[in-house]
Amino acid sequence: MSWLTAWAGYLPQMMSGLGVSLMIAAVSIVAGYPLGLVLSLMVRAKNLAARTLGLALVEVGRGAPALVILYLFYYGLPKFGIAFESITAACLALIWNAAAYSSEIIRAGIQSVPRGQLEASNALGLSQRDTFFRITMPQGMRSAIPGLMGVAIQMFQGTSLAYGIAVPELMKTAYNIGSQDFNYLQIFTLAGLCYAVISMPATWITVFFEKRMARHA
Amino acid sequence: MTLSPPADSKLVPRLGIKLDNISKRYGDHVVLDDVSLHVEPGTVTALIGPSGAGKSTFLRCINLLERPDAGTIRVAGHTIEPGKAVNGRDLAALRSTVGMVFQSFNLFPHMTALKNVSFPQQRVLGRSKEEADARSMQLLERVGLKEKAGQHPGRCSGGQQQRIAIARALALDPSIMLFDEPTSALDPEVGLEVLSVMRELAADGMTMVVVTHEMQFARDVSDTLVVMADCKIIEQGDPKAIMSDPAEARTRRFLRAVLER
Repeated sequence: MSWLTAWAGYLPQMMSGLGVSLMIAAVSIVAGYPLGLVLSLMVRAKNLAARTLGLALVEVGRGAPALVILYLFYYGLPKFGIAFESITAACLALIWNAAAYSSEIIRAGIQSVPRGQLEASNALGLSQRDTFFRITMPQGMRSAIPGLMGVAIQMFQGTSLAYGIAVPELMKTAYNIGSQDFNYLQIFTLAGLCYAVISMPATWITVFFEKRMARHA
Repeated sequence: MTLSPPADSKLVPRLGIKLDNISKRYGDHVVLDDVSLHVEPGTVTALIGPSGAGKSTFLRCINLLERPDAGTIRVAGHTIEPGKAVNGRDLAALRSTVGMVFQSFNLFPHMTALKNVSFPQQRVLGRSKEEADARSMQLLERVGLKEKAGQHPGRCSGGQQQRIAIARALALDPSIMLFDEPTSALDPEVGLEVLSVMRELAADGMTMVVVTHEMQFARDVSDTLVVMADCKIIEQGDPKAIMSDPAEARTRRFLRAVLER
């Protein structure tokens, strides 16, 4: 019972931290996914320079831990005279992370569109542009949706990394509260619950979509 | 009841197909070895033969879904030398006069039946939505599926999907229709619905090339029977004559195998 009263007292601060976490997640998804689409196109491009750049961005974005990229943006770039506020650095690093992961999911989605669809489109005389934007993309994105939702949940949880550069998000807020009275068990349990309250329903929705898609496949 | 393009398109000269010396290989694997075929306008040609003979590949050369390595393709007034570069406009012009129906239907699953039939008309022929939809409804009615207009393909049976696919191809007013095993993915009863639509189309004078294993359709409907085996045309002529008395031993063996089924 004492935990619940303690939690109630922490809640206003924690909610503001959760708000920051959700904001960072939203920014990285809203900016990262369109960028991911662009990257997925670059990786498939005929132009060698575009393909190489696309591949490099995707492979580094997926290959390096998000925390490393976060640190590079925040501590590394000032060396070149580029300095960001911690929250901006966090957003940029996570945008890259989201773009890299989503690009692979989008690419897989596009590749999952049966060859027959392209053949039918070609045989009808539809232009390459129409074939891509009206036939391939809508179907590819549809099958990418569950994967993209999964990455969105990971992105939300990944915002906790911003703690490492002192962004006042949920994790940092919890740490600050905990360091006042050293009741870390209590406060991090609450932090975990806050993440779970968002992530779990999101996972259920994802599973629902997966099932729905499987049924209509 | 007529399935062919509207009356005014009769002013357009009906044109046939001349494929000469078509060869195609994938790496070392020869698929078509110097194959030639002429199809007169208004006739139905049935392409039969064992699998792997190159029938589908040959059919797909007609609208350049497959690009042959050598030969000349003359389709509906367009000449294409596949060895040379083909510009996009020639390709689009050729494809707009040739309709194609696939074994796996290949309807666009994210569009309703109506949209499947209307969308290409709007984008390829530049018809307005109203114009395209009117033509689509007309064709859907003729293939007996007016009531399916608002449904997505996933809600339609295989036979219905294939008839919608035929309507989609006809909506572009092609002068030639290609069928790539249109009933092979359907159970026999449902296949009959599709075959009857094709019979009507043939009766209307559509130029058709049909890759098929439906021997009865080939015998009753086609004007020319073409037998392919081992990357070549081994025999062609009157379907009834070939079926009752094939000249080639290979044809005889194939026909015996199919007819004994």
